[in-house]
Amino acid sequence: MKSITFALVALLFSVNIQAQSLTFTAIPDQDETLLKTRFNKIATYLSERLDIEVKYVPVKSYAAAVTAFRNNQVQLAWFGGLSGVRARLLVPGSMAIAQGYEDQFFQTYFIAHSSTGLESTDQFSDNIKQRTFTFGSKGSTSGRLMPEFHIRKQFNKAPDQLFRRVGFSGDHSRTIALVQSGAYDVGAVNFKVWERELAAGKIDNSKVKVIWKTPTYPDYQWSIRGDVEQHWGEGFVAKVQKALLEMSDPDLLASFPRQSFIKASNDDFQPVEDVARSIGLID
Amino acid sequence: MTHSPAFQLKDCHQQGNGQTILDIENLSIAAGEKVALIGKSGAGKSTLLNKLRGLRPDECAFCPQHHGLVPALSVYHNIYMGGLERHSTLINLINLVVPRPGSKQDISSLCQQLGLSEKLFISVDQLSGGQQQRTALGRALYQQADLFLGDEPVSAVDNEQAGQLLELLKQQHRTVIIALHNEQLTRNHFDRVIGLKQGRVAMDKPVAEISDSDLADIYRD
Amino acid sequence: MAVHNAVKPQSYSTAAGMKRTSLWFLLIAALCLLLADLEVIRADPWMELGRIGLGLITPNFFATEALLDALLNTLAFALIGVTIANCVGFLLALLFNKPGVRQFCASIRAVHELFWALLFLQIFGLSTLTGILAIAIPYSGIFAKVYAEILEESDHRPINSLPKQQSLSAFFYARFAIAYPHFRSYCLYRLECGIRSSAILGFIGLPTLGFHLDTAFKQGNYSEAAALLYLFFIVIATLRQWMRLKLLPVYLAAGFYILPQSTLISLEHLKRFLGEDIIPSPLRQSGGDFTEQILALMDWCWQLLYLQAFEGVFNTIVLSIIALVGSGMVALLLFPLVSRHFFSRPGRGLGHALLVVFRSIPELILTFITTLILGPSMLPAILALSLHNGAIIGYLIGQHSNGLQLRADSSRGLNLYSYELLPRIYPQFLAFLLYRWEVIVRETAILGVLGIHTLGFYIDSAFEDLRFDRALFLILITAALNLSIDSLSRWLRSRIHRVNFERVNSC
Repeated sequence: MKSITFALVALLFSVNIQAQSLTFTAIPDQDETLLKTRFNKIATYLSERLDIEVKYVPVKSYAAAVTAFRNNQVQLAWFGGLSGVRARLLVPGSMAIAQGYEDQFFQTYFIAHSSTGLESTDQFSDNIKQRTFTFGSKGSTSGRLMPEFHIRKQFNKAPDQLFRRVGFSGDHSRTIALVQSGAYDVGAVNFKVWERELAAGKIDNSKVKVIWKTPTYPDYQWSIRGDVEQHWGEGFVAKVQKALLEMSDPDLLASFPRQSFIKASNDDFQPVEDVARSIGLID
Repeated sequence: MTHSPAFQLKDCHQQGNGQTILDIENLSIAAGEKVALIGKSGAGKSTLLNKLRGLRPDECAFCPQHHGLVPALSVYHNIYMGGLERHSTLINLINLVVPRPGSKQDISSLCQQLGLSEKLFISVDQLSGGQQQRTALGRALYQQADLFLGDEPVSAVDNEQAGQLLELLKQQHRTVIIALHNEQLTRNHFDRVIGLKQGRVAMDKPVAEISDSDLADIYRD
Repeated sequence: MAVHNAVKPQSYSTAAGMKRTSLWFLLIAALCLLLADLEVIRADPWMELGRIGLGLITPNFFATEALLDALLNTLAFALIGVTIANCVGFLLALLFNKPGVRQFCASIRAVHELFWALLFLQIFGLSTLTGILAIAIPYSGIFAKVYAEILEESDHRPINSLPKQQSLSAFFYARFAIAYPHFRSYCLYRLECGIRSSAILGFIGLPTLGFHLDTAFKQGNYSEAAALLYLFFIVIATLRQWMRLKLLPVYLAAGFYILPQSTLISLEHLKRFLGEDIIPSPLRQSGGDFTEQILALMDWCWQLLYLQAFEGVFNTIVLSIIALVGSGMVALLLFPLVSRHFFSRPGRGLGHALLVVFRSIPELILTFITTLILGPSMLPAILALSLHNGAIIGYLIGQHSNGLQLRADSSRGLNLYSYELLPRIYPQFLAFLLYRWEVIVRETAILGVLGIHTLGFYIDSAFEDLRFDRALFLILITAALNLSIDSLSRWLRSRIHRVNFERVNSC
């Protein structure tokens, strides 16, 4: 009876029950172009390794990715540090299973326009007080969470109180563009994006430079819902984890881009959660 | 013929902006009368007509001075609007898209009498002032009411045609009350003439008793 | 004449009334300017602007994957959403005088479509339904208001000439038929807005043009961004060519066919959203002491009000009033470009192109560019909002002026502008402007990049933090603000309204 009702409701609303295929999404931490093209290859790879249909859903914002994970629209996701913590808090039983090799020691660079006269230092310079400052996206680990944490730790003040003006550029590349043009004096940016733009020749070193690098912290990771084993049987999580860890094709890894994936667990991200709680981004 | 009056107005006083707009003790118009309402502009003719209409709102065919036509609709539809109450809403709505053959025939012959037969499906915003006026008359005629109230309904056509239209109106309605300016038309087509001055009835006579000086009085300051 | 001489002359002419209203606005805007933060930060934007310029002259139409899908999705969301909103809005317009309807409509349109989308995202996921509702709901409120106003302002004399004025037939013949051309042209304009909204929904992940535009622009792929913008301009500029009422059913059917069919409707999500997500967080922990919970709730409300809402309302009002007056100036400056009284057909074509560009560039992108040039303060926001909204109002009053018949021997140039056109279009202009006020309030939501703490900034932050209780609380405050703006602008309009405000020439 129950199943008949369910079938009727399903028909009525033309629900796409994703019982058969595993759906995943990925928050691209630096390159958002050609998402489908790039991540459909990952879907194909996972599909071959897991022997089930795997689909990719493109997602733009951190919040949308977390919501999709929470609503079981996706069962597997490549999250940022903060969004992963948020997602796993909302979905009990979910777990982090893999992270990029680079993600063990992720960094945020503070960058400044040359007119500020700020120089690269080992310690966070006092001279950034009363400057204008821009974060990246509001929900980003490297563009928001960690820089805010270090600002508060160093100066014992909220960014709003420390700086003359605080903006949210929405994106790492735009943070660089805004600081490079002098619209903002100082900005905080994902180190991998900085290095990519530097290599692409989009950065003029006479105009913008790195003034401080944060200590390392864990960032991006693969998280999976705990209830996947009810659909695909016991050991499915381990199977997915294995498939991810054994991904070695440089072409596939370039989509993330990471040199390889290594094991991860929820505990690895406790520091991120603690920081998020301490600055009030998680209740 | 019944002797109960078609309209009976008693103690009607209306003020506005510190001046009298209407001040009428007692005015009675019997069924079957053909009344001309004259007076200078601003004397209260339109206000009086509206008052009379208010006494029997559903029974009067009304032709206002500004015509009140829907510019985007054709002559046919504007005239049809006079007869909306005779049909169901559904029929009216369908007619808005596809004209009903029966109504088309009726209105087409009405238009012939009004000299509008060429214009049946022209939208009224493309008509001349005189043609628009005749469309408004057509709408009033198509109401097929017993009483007709008109506010300068023939002001935009020449005298000869105005005369014909007035005869048509009289022929179709038992009681006719029309505000107008034209002395010749007043004398030739009505039984009774009411002259208004600053909101008051300054003269009320059968047409035969009207003298030139009566008229001059009405139009003098 | 004696009668007329007895009347005291009116204390002021209608033009003087309009002048007075305008002066008040200018004065208040000037006051707001004193309160606003207008710092210009000397910047060096040329490198980035150079790249943008280069991108604009070397558009790349092949850099975007699934470009055609994105384009068709954009149109499908817009067409379906606007069609639904048109029908619902029309019905609401008929009930507009019933208690509560006006307020309800003002509330649903107070919320930016991006926020509606973010709300529905929680229930329906990133699905077609989310996109359609995000457009249909606020647009219903907008349609209702505008349709009600068109009906109110259209010529009432035809219906007054009929017996039995209450009947449905009388309504359709004597009211609807008069208002219909205005409904139609407004609906077409709203469809244009719908296409813009639909594109912008891509910013949060729906598969429309905005999805790719956002990426391309963020990452500085300006050739790709230019191509997407050009495509967008072309669609909007040719709207009147391809949009035919007769083709609407075909378009709608195609739209339903094209859009992704994976709508996930789950009562569980709905229950979770209503029963948990939007409950203020102090009330969510069960088992606590009741008094303690109430105290915690009061503290929660106070914190939100004190730390976010007060500042948010203040900034929103200051910014929106300055941007409103700015938009008005831009509009008065630009409308001759599309007016047949000033330019012949080819000239107007260029004018139209310019206005399409200004009104179609998403504000987010316009703001990014003005920020590059002026640095972060309210200034780039004022500039971006004024250009965008000014171009829209300019277009609307330009169209309005084209409907005016002037005498053959009227003057030319500035005299024509100031003596013949300005007095005629001004009531309409003020009406459009007052209406635009609430749109500007809605749009201030997207200015987080500048760190201007408007209400929308805080709502956006709440969504980003997945704190839907806070988002909803702030959205309710936004709705209340919009209600006040709605009644204020209605009051102002009624003052101006004594003027001959006939949209329809009488006959």
